[in-house]
Parts: sequence; structure tokens; C-alpha cells
Amino acid sequence: MTSLTPVQIPPQTIAAAPSPRRSARGFLGWLMAPERRGPMLVAPAIATLIVVNIFPLLWSYGLSFFSYNAKYINRPPRWIGLDNYVDAFTDPEVWDRFTNTAVIVIGSVAVQLVVGFLLALLFAREFPLRRYLLMLVLAPMMLSLSAVGVFFKLFYEPTLGFIPRIVQTFTGVPFVILDTPTKAIIAIICADAWMWSPFVMLLVLAGLVSVPKYLYEAAEIDRASTWRRFRTITFPYIRSLLLLALLFRTIETFKIFDVPYVLTEGGPGTSTETISVYLFRLAFNYFRTGRASALGYIVLFGVIVLTSLYLYAIQTRRSEAG
Amino acid sequence: MSEIRLQQLTKRFQNLLAVDRVDLEVAPGEVMCLLGPSGCGKTTTLRMIAGLESATDGNILIAGKRVNDLPARERNVAMTFQFYALYPSLTVAENLAYPLHADGLSRTQINERIAQVSKVLDLEGILKRRPHQLGEGEKQRVAVGRSIVRQPTCFLFDEPLSRLDIQLRQQMRTQIKEVLEKLDKPTVIVTHDQIEALTMADRIAVMRDGRIEQVATPHDLFAYPVNTFVAGFIGTPQMNLVEATLRAVEDGPDGTARGRFDLLGESFAARVEPGVRRLPAGGRVTLGVRPRSFVLAPPGGEETLRATLDLVEPMGAELLLHLLQHGSDLRCVVRHTTRVTVGETVGLRCKPGQLHVFDENGALVQ
Amino acid sequence: MASREVRAIGQAGWGRTLGAAAISLIYFFPVLFIIMTAFKTRSDALAWPIKFIFTPTLSNFISVFFRVTVEGGAAEATGFGLYFFNSLFIGGTSVLLALIIGTSAAYGFSRFPLRGNDTYLFMILTTRMMPPIIAIIPIFVLFNVFGLSGTYIGIIALYTAFNLPFSIWMVKSFFDDLDRDMEDAARMDGSSEWKVFRKICLPQVYAGLAATFVFAVILTWNEFVFALLLTGTQTRTVPVQIVRTIGGALGVDWGLLSALETLFIIPVVLVTFALQNQLLRGVTFGTIRR
Repeated sequence: MTSLTPVQIPPQTIAAAPSPRRSARGFLGWLMAPERRGPMLVAPAIATLIVVNIFPLLWSYGLSFFSYNAKYINRPPRWIGLDNYVDAFTDPEVWDRFTNTAVIVIGSVAVQLVVGFLLALLFAREFPLRRYLLMLVLAPMMLSLSAVGVFFKLFYEPTLGFIPRIVQTFTGVPFVILDTPTKAIIAIICADAWMWSPFVMLLVLAGLVSVPKYLYEAAEIDRASTWRRFRTITFPYIRSLLLLALLFRTIETFKIFDVPYVLTEGGPGTSTETISVYLFRLAFNYFRTGRASALGYIVLFGVIVLTSLYLYAIQTRRSEAG
Repeated sequence: MSEIRLQQLTKRFQNLLAVDRVDLEVAPGEVMCLLGPSGCGKTTTLRMIAGLESATDGNILIAGKRVNDLPARERNVAMTFQFYALYPSLTVAENLAYPLHADGLSRTQINERIAQVSKVLDLEGILKRRPHQLGEGEKQRVAVGRSIVRQPTCFLFDEPLSRLDIQLRQQMRTQIKEVLEKLDKPTVIVTHDQIEALTMADRIAVMRDGRIEQVATPHDLFAYPVNTFVAGFIGTPQMNLVEATLRAVEDGPDGTARGRFDLLGESFAARVEPGVRRLPAGGRVTLGVRPRSFVLAPPGGEETLRATLDLVEPMGAELLLHLLQHGSDLRCVVRHTTRVTVGETVGLRCKPGQLHVFDENGALVQ
Repeated sequence: MASREVRAIGQAGWGRTLGAAAISLIYFFPVLFIIMTAFKTRSDALAWPIKFIFTPTLSNFISVFFRVTVEGGAAEATGFGLYFFNSLFIGGTSVLLALIIGTSAAYGFSRFPLRGNDTYLFMILTTRMMPPIIAIIPIFVLFNVFGLSGTYIGIIALYTAFNLPFSIWMVKSFFDDLDRDMEDAARMDGSSEWKVFRKICLPQVYAGLAATFVFAVILTWNEFVFALLLTGTQTRTVPVQIVRTIGGALGVDWGLLSALETLFIIPVVLVTFALQNQLLRGVTFGTIRR
């Protein structure tokens, strides 16, 4: 057995280790020094966002306490304190628009979730041509929102659109869609749900596909019924994804602008005017900038609450999925 | 009469023949192990018995009934999966109870069964936990528990101990063996670990490339491996397999046969089975000697093989000697008190009756 | 004895294909309609029942770019060449900028987490989630004050900020997925941080960066609200022009519109097909990945 003697390391080697270069690369070196690195890398992005997003937001916040008409740039803003906010809360027009938006959000998101979920179940198994049919289902998401608005206008058109014409072959009477508030809202909900249910499907499908196959095999051996299998194995996997889909789509649908603006222009009357469209009109047709800012902030607050929920749901999903 | 019978069972995946005309019988109450290297078709065979794969050809009979066309849920088999397949959203108790719902038992009966099983497998403390809160050994016991909580026609295990560390494995081996003996139902265990197979099985089916090489009791597999593959597969350290030429077979003392061979550049003679007489003189054979069948002797003489000691591997109470002769590796196991020096030339003698002779096709000559 | 094929779990047969095909049609039909109409003559386009068999014509596509205004006169450009260019240029530049700034920030967030990391990220996500309308009002005023309305610089700067949150979240998710061991090994071998970033981290996320770039371009490509308010006649993008076309008094030329939209979605289709593996990550802003 050879004896192991400790290797002697000459002290000079240790001392000769290079010391951190100080002024080697000057300013850049100072910038990227270890203690500053994180914040420095992040700074440009934060700066851009502050300038383009935060700054206008703060400015708008300030503006919300004034009565200001952007058309008359020369007329200085008049301080009116919380009047804009109070008006926003008490104005029946505002509540009307909130209701419209709420109806559209609830209707569309509900349809999206149910249909998207069923679609995901449909595509969860392997079957011939699955890949290509899946691409077809994703088609709606490729159109721009405004294009959806434009073309659904055609589809809904009483004399030219194929939907009313199909109905006409059954009823014999021209079928007008966009004339009553109820029908108009349903029309928007259909267009929106058509466009976004594939998104929900994608999310839920990702969850369904991630269920390990052997769990289903064990359930088969254990002779579990289809419902039981769904309840105990499938659903827990997709539960958090469904929640994410719900929140995400709610936030997005809440903001909906393109489709109502183009398809119905808020009509008939103001029945399909959503909050976003109303804000738009307020700011750019009537130029009541102060009011619009105040209302905008109220909406922003709601969005922040929803986004927090969304992020919380993501964290939960992360820890669940491991 | 519950037993499992496989007749000419075949499974083809597109171009791959995974299971090739397998014939097997598992008697009631018998524990049968499917043993073999990865890709030999053992898991596929098991899954066909369970009903998770369909058979391309052949028959699967459980309790005398042909079950090929029955889906898994109608075969009433119990299976423990390699990855346990515990339902993550359910507690241990709920996992154990899961298979019982299909039997239509009452709440009380279910709880009784759970209590029984928990006692046997030591699960009482963790009944309220969820799978992700369990250690490997606990998960494994729950998986086994879920199988034995029912009254199936047979038990199937897919690599049950592969994910456990050595200590847990030894523990679980004994525990499972006890449980299986009590249950007395035909059981098939798939494993690639021969120690598992040798300790837990009543009989072992060694598989290679979709075919069964040999079905025998652990002892018979060890003592009478039917070909070089089985001989080399069973037994650690691995059996020495050396090519040789048969010179002649003479009559030895007490009516035994004594074979003389040319191997590794010299002559070697030892006692052989009578069947060796039938082999042509000058024909090629393979000689098999287990490391523990060699004894050290002074080099010289026809019955002693000469080799140089290359490496000594301590194995606790024994020493594993690696020897070289004409480029071939030989292994010999001796007691740890034996004094040996690396580089010395030693002689190896084969203990009487422990020389295996395989013909030119690799089949054992008896 | 009839033998029922025991199907492996997770498989389904042609029955499901038929059902899925019927349903896919509901989603695909409008898009198909648009594409078909692009190739139809005016009378074919509005015919009923819907003509599936017709003689295709490319006249609509030509009309997108050229129009004859005077009888017998020369065809003059409609300006859509400019609009397509604008969409491409504005989209591409702003996303590129966003990606550069965003990747730096993503690397910082991922590898050098600060104390308020989650808060910063949350705020960044919120800026993306809020209704564009809210930010637009003050921005519109500011743009007018600074004379940025209708310029390239203005809209590009805005879109850069618009794409930043998306870029940061996506690219951060890619960095998070990387194996740190390689970086640590390089550090122990004496590489500087910059080298580690350039030689180890960056090459691995190239694919992710490309995917992010493409997704962001698609989002910007289809953007409408900001473009509506902040682009002028020279800088207008295609979605705005599509909507303006529909407001004409002469009745809408659906063939023209369809051709326009068909051309417009070609890049999106190609991209979706090429990036289908990253699709889920893309549409959820990098918050979900398989």
C-alpha cells in the first residue's frame, strides 16, 4: 500500500491568484460589478416601461382630478377634486356600460370555458388526422381582432351573410341579427367565444395530456367508472389550468374593444358599448379627458385585482405540478 | 381452479416482435417470476395478461377462461405498477379503497379491508397522507396494498422493487414474500434483478428477445442452466464461460465420465456429465464454471488450470479474484483469509461435478 | 368467435375523427370562407348558396395593391404596399428592440433575483394586461404635445414598451428552464459573466428567442387600438386600413377585403405551424409551459 502524503502547495501559487480587475473596463465594468449586475440588467426595461407606461399613467391619474377637454388645449384644466370619480360611480350611463361589459364577459367566458373544455376532451386521445384537425381548430386565433369584427359583420349581414341566409332557408323570413340589443350582444358573444374557445382548449389539453398514462391504466385495472376516473384523476390535473383560463380570458374579455367597435359600433344605440368603447368615445369623440381618466383608473383597479388573482393561480399551479 | 396459462402468446409492434410464441403455466398459488434483460418482452407479456396490451396471436387463459377479448377491467386482475401509479389527489386510505368501489361493498366493509391491509403492510400511520408526502418505500407499500385489498383472480407485479434502495429492497422482499404466501393466488412478477427473482419466486421464467429460455425453480436454474445465456445471466459473480475443444471422454472413477479439453492453450480435464460422451471429438464446446466452483491449487497437472492473478476485489467475507490466462478473464471466489499476491501464477481446479459443458449451439449437455 | 380488438388506453378511432372534423369545420369555416372569397369574382362572392366550386381569379389580389381609378387609365398603387410595409417594419423593429431590452431584463430577473422580484414582474405583467384604452388617453395627448403622432418613432417606441412585458416573461421562462450546472462549470473554469451569458446561456435560448420574436410580431401585427389612434396616413398599419375600407359609402368590396386579410394572415399561419411546440407558452405569455 503506497502511503499518501499530502501534496505541498507552495504558498506563492495561492497568493498569485488574480485580484479582481478594477478599472479594467471602466464604466462598463463598474456597471456590471456583481453587486450591481441584477438591477443594471433590468434597468433599461424598467426605464422604458416607466417612461411609456407609468409616466402617462401618473399623468392621467393627475388629470383625473381635473376637468379637461383635450380639444381645447389652450383652456387650462380646472381642478374639481374627486368629482370625476363620483360622477363615474353615479352616472347611470357608466353603470349601463359596466352591465353591458359584464354580460358579454360572463356570457363569452362561460361559453369559452365549456366549449373549450369539451374540445379538449375531444382532442385528448390520439386518432387519425388529429394533428391536422387541431390546426384547423386553431384557425380563429390567427385572425386579428379587428378582422374578426370586420368579417363577422359580413357573416351577420341579413342579405349577404351566410348565417342569416341559412336561417332564412328554414324560416323563409330574412333574419336580422344586429337590430335588437339582445341579439347584438349574443352576436358579439358568439364571435368572441368562437375566437377564443380554442385558446381554452389549448390550456386544458396541455393539462389532459400531462396526465401520466399509467394512472389511467391503474384505474382500468381497478375497474373505476368513467365518471370516477374523471373526478379523481383527470379533473385534479386540469383544475388549476381551468382557473387560469378563466382568469386570463376574463381579464382579456373585460378589455374587449375591437370587436364591438367594428362589428356593432356599440349599437344598436349603446347596448353593446363596452367599457373600453365607452372610454374611447369619452376621450376621443367627446374629449372629456378628465372624466375618461378617472373612469380609466377605476377599470385599471379592477384589472389589477384580477391580474393578482391570475398570478396567484400560476404560483399554485407551479407548486402543484411540481 | 385459478391458474394462468399462456399458449403461443405473441405480440408484434409494427416491425418489432416483442413476444414470440411464449408458452407458460402458472399454477394456482404459485409465484412465477419473469426475469430477463431490458427489452426481452417480460413487461409486454405481463401487460398482455393484465389486458393493457392486446395479443397479436396466441391465447391467454385465466382460471380456464380465454380472456384475450376481455378488457382489463373485466379480467379482475390486480396489478402493482413500476411507478406505483398512486392517485395523487387521493389520500392513502382512499387509494386503498379505490378498487373496492367496483365490488359494491359497504362503507364498513371497505374500512375493514383497509384496516386489515394497513396492519399487514404497516400503513396505519400514513393513511391520511397524500402520495407526494410519502417516501419511496411507503409509496411502494401503498401500491402493493392497493393490489391485495381486493379478491382478484391473480396478482401481477411490474418491477416492484426497482425504485427502492438496497436496504428497503431487502425488507420489502421478505414482506412481499410473506404476503404472497398468505394470499395463495397465482402471481407473476416481472423483474430484471435476479436476486429478487431467486428469493421471491417459486419458479422463474428467463426470457430473452421475446422467447422463454428456461422455466425452472431457482435451484434448477442455478444448477442446471439450459444454455449459455441462462448460465451467464443467473449467478453473481457471473459464471466463467470459456470456449474449448473436446479431446476425449474417458471413464473416470465411480463410473463417472471424465472429459479432456484443450482450452486457453493447455490441457484441462475434469468430471463431466455422461451426455458429453455423445459429443464429437475435436468439436467446439463451451465450458462453464461458477467462480465459487473453482478452488485454488498449486499450478501443474491436467486437472489444474494455470492463470495469473490480475486483481483482487474484496467482497467482505470473500475475495473475488480476477485472473488472466491467454487474454481470457477468469473469476474465482475464495475466503477472505486466503493469502494471494497480485501477479502470481495460481492453479484452478474445478470442484467435482460442477463443470457445465455446453455444445457448439450453447445448449447444456447432461 | 368475433374478437373485439382491445384498444390501448388513449387511442380512439375514426368515429372520433368524424366528430372532430365536424367541429373543426365550425372553427375553420369562416377562415375558409374568407380565403375562398379572396379568389372569387364579385358576383361569385355574394352568391347563394355558397359557391364552393368556382373559377378562381387573382383580380382581388391585384386590386389590393393597384387600382384603376380612371377608365382606361393606368393602374396606380393603392398604398397597401405601404401599409404592409408599415406593419412589417413597425412590428419588426419594435419587437427587436423589445427583445434586446427584454432579454437583458429577463436574464437579470432570472439569474440575479432582487428582493422585490415578484413584485416587479407582477407590475410588468399588469402593464400588459390593462386595457389599452387607459394608457392611450394620456399617451395620445402626450404624442400630440411632442409632435409624435403619426411618426414612426412614436409608434415604434410605444410598441416596444407594449412588447416588453411579453418578451420579459417569455424569455425569463426560457432562462429559468436552463440547466445551471453548465454555467457553474464555466464560471469555475474562469469565464467572465459576460462570456457565460454569451457562450452558454444565449445559444441555448436562441430557439426561444426566435419563438418570442415571432409571437410578439404576430401580436403587434394584429394590434388595432394603438395603431388606430397613433398612426398617420404615412405610418398606418394594415388592421387600421381594413377597418377604414369598410366604412366606405360605396358598399364594401368583400373580395378585396378577403384578399387583403388572406395576405395578412399568411405569415401568421406559417408561424403557427412552425412554432406549434411553443404555442402554449406563447399564448399564455410564458406563464405556462409543458
